[in-house]
Amino acid sequence: MFKFTTVLLLTTALAAPVMAKDFKFAATTDPQTMDPHAVNSAPVLGFLNNVYEGLVRRGKDMAIEPALATAWEPIGEGEGWRFTLRQDVTFHDGAEFNADDVVFSYKRASDESSDTRSWFAPVSDVVKVDDYTVDIMTNAPNPIFPDSIANWMMMDSGWAEANNAGLPDKEAGNYATLNTNGTGAFKVTAREPGLRTVLEPHGGWWGEVEHNITRAELTPIQNPATSLAALLSGDVDFINPVPIQDVARLKQNRDVSVIQGIEARVIMLGFDQQEGASEGGNGSSDLFLDPKVREAVAKAVNVPAILQTIMRGNAEVASQLVSPAMRGFSAANATPYAYDPEGAKALLEEAGVAGASFDLKCPNNRYLNDEAVCQAITGMLAQAGLSATLDAMPVQNYWPELRADNFDMYLLGWSPGTFDAEHPIRFLGSTPNEEKKLGSWNFGGYSNARIDELLPMIQSEIDDIKRQAMLDEAAKIMQDEVAYVPLYVQPLVWGARSNIELTQRPDNFFILRWVTVN
Amino acid sequence: MLSYILKRIGQSALVLIIVGLVAFSMFRFVGDPIDNMLGQERTMEDVERLRAQLGLDQPFPVQYFKFLSNAAQGNFGVSFRQGRPVADIIAERAPATLELAAVSAILAVGVGIALGVFTAIRRDGFMANFIMSASLIGVSLPTFLIGILLIYVFSVELGWLPSFGRGETVKIGWWTTGLLTESGLKALILPAITLGLYQMTLIMRLVRSEMLEVLRQDYIRFARARGVSERTINFRHALKNTMVPVITIIGLQLGAIIAFAIITETVFQWPGLGLLFINAIQFVDIPVMAAYLMMISLVFVLINLAVDILYAFIDPRLRVSA
Repeated sequence: MFKFTTVLLLTTALAAPVMAKDFKFAATTDPQTMDPHAVNSAPVLGFLNNVYEGLVRRGKDMAIEPALATAWEPIGEGEGWRFTLRQDVTFHDGAEFNADDVVFSYKRASDESSDTRSWFAPVSDVVKVDDYTVDIMTNAPNPIFPDSIANWMMMDSGWAEANNAGLPDKEAGNYATLNTNGTGAFKVTAREPGLRTVLEPHGGWWGEVEHNITRAELTPIQNPATSLAALLSGDVDFINPVPIQDVARLKQNRDVSVIQGIEARVIMLGFDQQEGASEGGNGSSDLFLDPKVREAVAKAVNVPAILQTIMRGNAEVASQLVSPAMRGFSAANATPYAYDPEGAKALLEEAGVAGASFDLKCPNNRYLNDEAVCQAITGMLAQAGLSATLDAMPVQNYWPELRADNFDMYLLGWSPGTFDAEHPIRFLGSTPNEEKKLGSWNFGGYSNARIDELLPMIQSEIDDIKRQAMLDEAAKIMQDEVAYVPLYVQPLVWGARSNIELTQRPDNFFILRWVTVN
Repeated sequence: MLSYILKRIGQSALVLIIVGLVAFSMFRFVGDPIDNMLGQERTMEDVERLRAQLGLDQPFPVQYFKFLSNAAQGNFGVSFRQGRPVADIIAERAPATLELAAVSAILAVGVGIALGVFTAIRRDGFMANFIMSASLIGVSLPTFLIGILLIYVFSVELGWLPSFGRGETVKIGWWTTGLLTESGLKALILPAITLGLYQMTLIMRLVRSEMLEVLRQDYIRFARARGVSERTINFRHALKNTMVPVITIIGLQLGAIIAFAIITETVFQWPGLGLLFINAIQFVDIPVMAAYLMMISLVFVLINLAVDILYAFIDPRLRVSA
């Protein structure tokens, strides 16, 4: 008996380190649904990237790589794209993946009830050629289409229909809101919204396994101090984000490591550029119609100083609306506006608006230290002779204010969903046009005929060099006219126990299959 | 007695309706849920469509009336954030809060009364003075600070207790309990102390001062003169007369424990109703906020009702006059 126990103990002792690779991670926001087509939000898509897969996916460097499609090529003169599908791929429930699922997922994700339908605005049709070939037809040549569908995830048509989840239902929810059946490296084995979500490796995954996790558990922790304590005490292995002010202290601790990078999000200042439209602003509503005044703002704001003090050296100065990590970044226009308070004063004198006063609207819970940044900006503008009144508010009140044009100047962060420089031009640079769905976040009403002309050309240009030339031109116009004042690229700060190896991607997606627990 | 209770119930219903009205008139200041619900690539058309679909374009009295008539039929709507019935979500989260509140309340009442009596009887002793000074900490430090201090000492530095969450839970029907597992009990200790500490010191100080007051009364002196034992005087005659105001406070504080568990739950990521409410505010999840506020006011109203009825049992004079 004694021997038997010893043997048993020995085997468990030996087996334990190999077997149990439990990985616990915490995030600020719980993914609000498990349905990959219901909402278009980073916490949901980021999490579901571990469970569902698209035809293509992004690698460690954000480049597009084959996932459920093994190859793709343009059809004819850019009428669409032909995708060759991977064979022998199974969903978590064992069903086989084929072209029918792609057609089904297209219908589901582009339906009116889906928030992801804007991804498919350029698509005219999806045609099954055979079981493992699909043609996606586009209205116009679309060179970056494969890039734009990395988060379009495949769902099994049979499973969805059997469970009455043929279409996403955001308002009332359905089976797919709580249950998953993807082809990804992990399957969800338990889901308690807001409490915990448990993942286990998918045994039949087609890819080569790099991770050694046997079970992963996501807990949302909203309070930054609590998540930090949980990391320090070892109750969780990973947190995102680490509060900026704790980074230096955390780096001293040998049990944890801080992983830093820059996010895709560029923080910028926007202006009211509509004639006489500002009812809510205080006073000089047409102040920012003059590009000189906008340029004066750009010169008056000392971005490096903001980064040094408020961001504690954890962010990078931005020169344009996308970060250098994005496709289509304009290297020709990579010089940020220089800090030049005297120049700013001179410009204001020239424009005859020295001492003008206006409103600066700012969110106080949307971006890292957003309110503090706005406060600093207010002070810097005052030195240049512009009196800005800061009005900071929670983001849920902020967007309605911006939509109602109640601002003179505002702070905005933009993360291009396609990781391409075309994205901010479409949403922030184009003249607002409800019908064409352009400029939907261009609250200030910036408008330039050449930009509007360039956008469709950029969207349909197949040749990379010609396309880049047009992107450069657009970036230059917006820089010269000071359409926005790009400030900095928001930092990305993750914290992990020191026995964890992982890869940080600039889109702030946490990819479990790159995690190793030592 | 019956008419008295019926009258109280009528008043309670009125209070609930007014609370709901106030809550609904406040919701539009909390912000707009639409941008949270639609992604970055939404169009203005989507915004308008969703707003109409959710009925947010209607004036708040209309929204409130709809809510009331649905709630009366037991339908609290669907959460904007989770896309699931609010009633389900609340039923899921309630056990966590109720267990935490119950343990905190037992802790607060038990320890509070015991220490209160002790410090009243030995009012000049060293221990009593020490306890009184220490209790100032409980009264003066804000809850979140106590919580963070406890986490720092017992989780981060000593590593004895978990820093967040509820540990493993066991399902009994629809109820989940953390009281039956080791990790569940461990996880309960710090939040229960954090939540109950203020109430504990409050009850203790109240019991002490009431008791000192009562001990000065003539009938206690007469009892002493008659040679009744100290024990009987203290626990039978004095304590019983101390309890009337104490029960009122305990009753009100019990409601406060449930309602203000919000802070403790946020600090400890305790998956209860308070945390649900905080998240709902951030997302402007109006159905969840409305249901939560109505439920909390219901709890307060019910507790007050119970306290009123309890008076009658403790104080025979009330029974006669009622």
